[in-house]
Amino acid sequence: MKKTLCVLLALVLLLFCACSASTKTAEPAGTTAASAGETAAKSNKDITIAVIGQQTGNVVFLPAQAGAEAAGKELGIKVDWQSPIRAEAELQNEIMNNLIDLGVDGIAISCTTGDALKDVINRAVDSGIKVSCYDVDSPESKRLFYAGTENYKAGYTCGEYMVKLFKDAGLDKVRVAQLEGIPGANDIEARKKGFADAIKGTNIEVVYSYPCNDDVDKAIEGVEAYTRASGDEIDAWFMAGGWPYCVAPDAMPEVNAWKLANPNHKVVTVDIFPDTTPAFFKMGVLDVAVGQNFHEMGYQSVKTLYDLVQGKALNAPVDQTIGAPFINTGVQIATSEDYKEVMGIQ
Amino acid sequence: MCVITAAAEPAFLKVSNLLSTARSFSAIAIAGIGVLMIIITGGIDLSIGSVYGLAGVVSTYCCSLFGMPIWISMILGVLAGAIFGALNGLMVVYCKLPPFIATLGTMQIARGLCTILTQGYPVSNLPGGYMFLGQGKFLGIPMAIWCMAMIAVLFAVFLNKTVTGRRIFAMGGNAESTRISGINIKALIILVYTLGAALGSFAGIITASKLGVGQPTAGNGFEMDAIAAVVIGGASLSGGEGSVLGTIIGAAIIGVLRNALVLLRVDSYWQTLIMGVVIIAAVTADQLRKSGKA
Repeated sequence: MKKTLCVLLALVLLLFCACSASTKTAEPAGTTAASAGETAAKSNKDITIAVIGQQTGNVVFLPAQAGAEAAGKELGIKVDWQSPIRAEAELQNEIMNNLIDLGVDGIAISCTTGDALKDVINRAVDSGIKVSCYDVDSPESKRLFYAGTENYKAGYTCGEYMVKLFKDAGLDKVRVAQLEGIPGANDIEARKKGFADAIKGTNIEVVYSYPCNDDVDKAIEGVEAYTRASGDEIDAWFMAGGWPYCVAPDAMPEVNAWKLANPNHKVVTVDIFPDTTPAFFKMGVLDVAVGQNFHEMGYQSVKTLYDLVQGKALNAPVDQTIGAPFINTGVQIATSEDYKEVMGIQ
Repeated sequence: MCVITAAAEPAFLKVSNLLSTARSFSAIAIAGIGVLMIIITGGIDLSIGSVYGLAGVVSTYCCSLFGMPIWISMILGVLAGAIFGALNGLMVVYCKLPPFIATLGTMQIARGLCTILTQGYPVSNLPGGYMFLGQGKFLGIPMAIWCMAMIAVLFAVFLNKTVTGRRIFAMGGNAESTRISGINIKALIILVYTLGAALGSFAGIITASKLGVGQPTAGNGFEMDAIAAVVIGGASLSGGEGSVLGTIIGAAIIGVLRNALVLLRVDSYWQTLIMGVVIIAAVTADQLRKSGKA
């Protein structure tokens, strides 16, 4: 009897949803069915901007969250930080759908996989929500702008420094091992391309690439294992993302020993973590770090989305490579010589 | 849970939200029905998440890179997963491996195959028609929900009204008695693992269709969602007990909870903890209800 009742209830619900879904037109976003002009008059305390990270455990998003919440506090609006437990597009897709139904005013998202999220981003934009990407873009989507590092340039800068580091080394060939994140992620691919272009025509060559899927443990395990097995077959590491540098230097004894054993072993990384990167420089196991500004990504995303919600024009130049307005949050470059000065350490 | 969420956040009751939530948990429900049959026999399948990912990769690969018709690509995706299911069954039956170990191994192998096939890159550039299963609607209801409903009816009838279905329950209750009564339990075991993986694969294809991309990392940890749905739905991990309706309800609890936590703006860092607490509470309530009846 109970089972029959449950099935009947489910059928009734389904029928109700089918009738409602087929007779109603798409519901616009926001708490009221307001036109674009009327949205401009919305009170700050009624505005909600959601910011989505890639994964709860990923430390690079902590400054992004702090930046977003700082902007929210300044503007007097609600900032809703959401992040899935695993860096999976399906989970981010779910969160996006929930936020669309919640009727938030704006969404800023760092995409685990840009292609996989373009449809839900488009759905959000079509329903009237202002959507942007930060850190990792979804170029094929209708997002209104991208806020982040000029990743190609960051990778190119790393390549330039790698060339500089080996200029007087007197080696016939410089073999570089590369650490990457989620294969196909726009930010990492752009950095790899930038690095590859910077070393083109030189004696530097990438001989190995290891994807850690944005997992810190996997990154450390991977670089340690490869260095242990093939340390004498490489001269440098290029870390396209700073996952191994989120933790203390003690976590990478193999790489550290390999680096210290030979002055011609070099390490260049993207990302600077104020709490942990200095220790690597101090120990002499890191040569160059090209840092991103995640705080600024979160901050600028919220501020710009707020302006759009209030009907103001988007004040960011269109970047031809990205194909959309681009807010460059800049990079910070620290070397083993000047890291204290660059990072403001006494 | 629904009442509290609806009271706190009216957006919960929006038709689009309800349909979106149902679509989200339909993949868990479909895979859960597959895992249910395995759990009824007293087994377990940890490879469901990996075959979920593999099926998505294989079907998108066939479609995008080899230009195969969409329906053939999807069938091949389901077959790829079913092969792993059959392999699990064969190892349990003939190698006498505990299901936990056999499926732990195939979990790694299937995931490894995903990475080898794709070199880690997602498979995209799919024809528009591929997305119909995951994004399309019929009579205003997402196709994924229709698939869940049809599979639920089919397997509810299979488990409760067919001889094979009754034998699956009998095996879970007492495998030795079932064997002695002349039933081929080896064939039954291979069948449930194959069907289980096929359903997990189909769920993976629905997700690949929804995202428009075949991701080698899809389904990481998904096996825990599928198993949780089955257990929350009242199935016993020692076998012999469980229902399709219970599994659907279990999947719905997971889906509604995830939806509620976002709608109620619960801090992301607390969401996992709350999920765990609710799962324990749901199963405890069910256990108490059962012991009250006994």
